[in-house]
Amino acid sequence: MNGWTVAATATLAAGVGTAAWGVATGPLRRRVVAQNLSTSLACPALLLLSEGYDRPSYVDLALLLALLGPVGTLVFARLLAEELAADPPHAWGLTYAVAGFGAAVVIAVCVAAGPSRALVKLLVVGTLLIGGNLTASRALSGGFAGSRRG
Amino acid sequence: MDDPLIVVALLLVAASATAAVAVRDPARQALVLAVLGTVLAVLFTVLQAPDVALSQLAVGSALTPLLIMLSVRKVRRPQRKKEAER
Amino acid sequence: MNRRTTLLGVAEVLAWWAVLALLWLVFISTVNTLELVVGASAALIGAFAAWGTRRAVSGW
Repeated sequence: MNGWTVAATATLAAGVGTAAWGVATGPLRRRVVAQNLSTSLACPALLLLSEGYDRPSYVDLALLLALLGPVGTLVFARLLAEELAADPPHAWGLTYAVAGFGAAVVIAVCVAAGPSRALVKLLVVGTLLIGGNLTASRALSGGFAGSRRG
Repeated sequence: MDDPLIVVALLLVAASATAAVAVRDPARQALVLAVLGTVLAVLFTVLQAPDVALSQLAVGSALTPLLIMLSVRKVRRPQRKKEAER
Repeated sequence: MNRRTTLLGVAEVLAWWAVLALLWLVFISTVNTLELVVGASAALIGAFAAWGTRRAVSGW
């Protein structure tokens, strides 16, 4: 049980636990934001676990989640567009905080990896994670107006 | 050695699964099922089964919510047409 | 304008191929000859797919 797994436990318990509570209760705008943030918090947790178990292959899990998590949120943003347009979510503070946390975790794991191809892979995962999180949040707030008319 | 981590992951899965059963509206259930899929993948990782976690992520993050939401739309659309005709 | 569009198309496929092959090199764990061959082939197929997708979307 080293520092990385402790950090992963804290991220899962506090972050994903709060997201699980938020997706089960409350109005629709809170639920979609909670679903978005659950994937954006599980990805740094997987990166911390790959470092804690000393298995670089677990970074592939974080890569796949960084790719597919925003896709899932975009599915909801597209198919729930009418209901969300009446009551759009405004959770930009929380979104930026989670994106900042993801960036901090990526930087910490990059420092632990040292200069190598693994470092570039982690940077790619970090870019996908933060870019996907912000894109999905913007789609939830109705930012891509052209897609609603589809 | 990593017991707190396994306990946290198991508790999250239990909470998400209970919430998925407790929520009644299908669209909101799809949201909870997406979170359940992600949490299951984390549980499989913690139990040292990354291949299973990869398959779970591939299926549970995007495919299952898409299928449920498309079915909900298919079912609701004739009702909405009937309401528009009245 | 057929020669110019062909040249632009070939250049775009080559650019996509370079990007995807670089991504492959970053993602794999061990670099040996088999990985390089598989990566080059997969990147070539992906380059054609990306070129076709960009032509279909044509909104970039």
